[in-house]
Amino acid sequence: MATDIQISIVGSAGDGTIAAGDILKNALAGMGYKIISFDIYPPEIRGFGKCIARMRITTEQAYSLKHKSDVLISLDDSHAIPHAGEVRECGAVIYERASIVQLPEGGHISAHIGPGQLPYPVPVRELAEKSTGANRSRNIVVLGFLAGLLDLPDEAFLKAIAKKFKRKAEAAAASEAAYRIGRDFAAQTFKLDDVVFGPPVSTVVAGATVEMISGNAAIVRGALDAGIDTFFGYPITPATSIMERLAAEMPKRGGRLLQTEDEISAISAVIGAGYAGARAATSTSGPGLSLMAEMLGMGVIGEVPAVIFVSQRGGPSTGLPTKTEQSDLHMAVFGGHGDAPRIVIAPTNVDGCYRCAGKAFELAEAYQTPVIVLVDLYLSNRYETVVFPARPPFEADMNRRPGKQSAGAQYKRYALGGDSISPRAIPGEKGTMHVVTGLEHNELGRPSDQAEMHEAMSRKRHEKLKAALKHPDLTTCKRFGDEGAVDVGVISWGSNFGESLEAMLKARGEGIRCAAMKVVMLSPFPTEAVAAFLADCKEVLVPELNYQGQFANLLQAHVARPVTRLNRVPGEPMKVEDILEEIRRLAGRKAAQKAA
Amino acid sequence: MGEIKPVYLEEKLKEIEDSGRLDYRSKTLPTWCPGCGYFSIVEAVAASLCELNVPNENAVMVSGIGCSSRFPFFVNSYGMHTLHGRALPVATGVKTANDALTVVVVGGDGDGFAIGGGHVPHAARRNVDITYLLFDNGIYGLTKGQTSPTSAIGFRTPTSPYENPDRPLNPLLMLLSYGASWVGQAYAGRPDHLHKMITQAMAHRGFSYLHILSPCVTFDKTHRTYGNLGMQVRDLPADHDPTDRLAAMREAMDDALPSLGLYYREERPTLADALDGLVEKAGGELPGKVVAKPARKAARR
Repeated sequence: MATDIQISIVGSAGDGTIAAGDILKNALAGMGYKIISFDIYPPEIRGFGKCIARMRITTEQAYSLKHKSDVLISLDDSHAIPHAGEVRECGAVIYERASIVQLPEGGHISAHIGPGQLPYPVPVRELAEKSTGANRSRNIVVLGFLAGLLDLPDEAFLKAIAKKFKRKAEAAAASEAAYRIGRDFAAQTFKLDDVVFGPPVSTVVAGATVEMISGNAAIVRGALDAGIDTFFGYPITPATSIMERLAAEMPKRGGRLLQTEDEISAISAVIGAGYAGARAATSTSGPGLSLMAEMLGMGVIGEVPAVIFVSQRGGPSTGLPTKTEQSDLHMAVFGGHGDAPRIVIAPTNVDGCYRCAGKAFELAEAYQTPVIVLVDLYLSNRYETVVFPARPPFEADMNRRPGKQSAGAQYKRYALGGDSISPRAIPGEKGTMHVVTGLEHNELGRPSDQAEMHEAMSRKRHEKLKAALKHPDLTTCKRFGDEGAVDVGVISWGSNFGESLEAMLKARGEGIRCAAMKVVMLSPFPTEAVAAFLADCKEVLVPELNYQGQFANLLQAHVARPVTRLNRVPGEPMKVEDILEEIRRLAGRKAAQKAA
Repeated sequence: MGEIKPVYLEEKLKEIEDSGRLDYRSKTLPTWCPGCGYFSIVEAVAASLCELNVPNENAVMVSGIGCSSRFPFFVNSYGMHTLHGRALPVATGVKTANDALTVVVVGGDGDGFAIGGGHVPHAARRNVDITYLLFDNGIYGLTKGQTSPTSAIGFRTPTSPYENPDRPLNPLLMLLSYGASWVGQAYAGRPDHLHKMITQAMAHRGFSYLHILSPCVTFDKTHRTYGNLGMQVRDLPADHDPTDRLAAMREAMDDALPSLGLYYREERPTLADALDGLVEKAGGELPGKVVAKPARKAARR
């Protein structure tokens, strides 16, 4: 029996909502289920902001969260009430049974549970006090109750709890007691027949490892597996956890990480380290990328390898620091002054985060250029079950080095001709001394503002990147769904592709001929493959999480054809239903035209 | 004063050739104005690299933007001519990637204390093992003579046509308080002393800051001229103790009569030492990926 269950936990900051979600998804991943999860939290550490831990547990591959949850757990009714409607027919709502006398009318979630939904009132506070002697671990009591209700094995939960509190013995003991009392209470209640876990399905290939991991953790793993030498960064949500994990892991491998005074310093040091031959990277979000723009251009004209991990959040300015958005595409692809081509790759899922992070170091070296890996808060914080290959699929050295220089010959760092990629020497190497400059220069690297030289060097910097579209073992774009001519083609990028793919698959299920394409490489743009796909589509839908339609703009700059844009800026993932509705409308419009 | 000896041009040229320091000068001719103090600085740097026996390919000159920042093109070594104000973080990256390199940062007063001012304290406190040569002419030369953060109050320039209302910074005092582990001052009009100071600064293991007073002969005819500076500069008192930071600060306070010499020096772990310490703490192995041999170590005193 295939399992496809979504559970949401909603609470107030400080309720332990996210912690409960962590334990739950670790327990279920430990049992062998596939997980996709994404948490929503406010920018404040405490206060009374809304926290949601949401996860989809499956045996088949899933690409996004579902529109409806099977189970909703309320740790704070004022926040959970607006989400009561998200529980499907015959799904469950678990909430605090406490007295409702003192609450204003409608203040208790029980008043909002629909006729088809199953209410599970639990004396959470009372049980927490009984088990821990204090009003603590309410979040763990409800987890125990959930485990009992769904008849899940204790071992998985106790292991996940032990892992969560591995350095706090007291908290671990209290949590275990809270878990058990919650579980025991579930035995007294009526069964939830409509939400049932089937047996987990194992798809592990020999040698590979399966892990439930976040997008940022996958980026870190990719960087480590690609042999990152140095990292320079400045904390910023939602990229901070990349730097934090690297700070813990890099020294174990002899790597060097430095927290710089600002993002300008971070990218400058990355360019310096890249010039000196290291695999160097930084991580940031939109505001940091804005500050880095000038030095990014220096990397472009100096042809210095650099890797920049960018996790987007809502903008402009400080914007929405803890909400997701895809509105830094223009900045990533075009940001900065002058004609400054660079490589931009945007993974669409957590597995892609791992691969793109590692490949970015190859690309930066092979094409001697800054490479931006563009994700967003949704993908950074999204957990997925990922199968990691036994051996890292990344090359350790992709540099093109100059051979021995003949005596008296001057080394041409920026030699023109061929595939426009010039052999690169690094400091410490004899006979190849040169100066890298932000000024336009000749083949030797000496300043030159001659018209022909600027033309030739501009061409060189653009032409050399074309080879990146055929870089080995790198997906630049990929088509899914029906082959050949289709009525509706959905084309999308980044984190939002998961919802687009789910919507397309649903539409196919409804009998609409459709296909979807994900575009991973945004610069240089895989024009040929995208144009071929668009030629197959009667209607083209471009859903993305920004107001301007930044990807649609990019697409239309490369392939001139009308598209339908679907733009949303809710700060949350797009609803699969919204994309599906648009696909239906486009397919219907086509049918209507045919009838006329 | 000793006996005054005549200098014969041919002998002097032979002496320079034999010294080997011309190996450290590139074939690109400096773009500075005739009479600019920076000529003596590039000569002194070449002589110091030669004296310390630094292999050319192990030296990296890093600069920002400004008259002084064209410097890397005139030295026969590796180099980076970066962005306005960003030489220090770029150099920090170079040095972090390969500690065996001899990294020299050059830049002007605008580059270092206006646009790049935010980076100076951090390079100093981290004790990045680089030498920072600050060419202070008190003016923006490359953009044709505007006010800089070390320009005097009352200085008239195209951006302060009535007068400069801002008081100048005191870079020496700043660097001493930022925690630079070597702080000194030299004057482009005294090339022999300048050369000695640069050699010392490069030999120091850690962040060395050398403030070099150098007139802009083209755009400043009134304030920081050879005539004025020649009257003002003096040596640090013979009994100055360069391990006494407070004494160094007291000397630095007197910016009307700037003192030349070594203000302060201390030995403490560099950034690379600290990062290696983290590797040890984490139980990791230090990278064996050193491209250049630390040939310079032998020459260090």
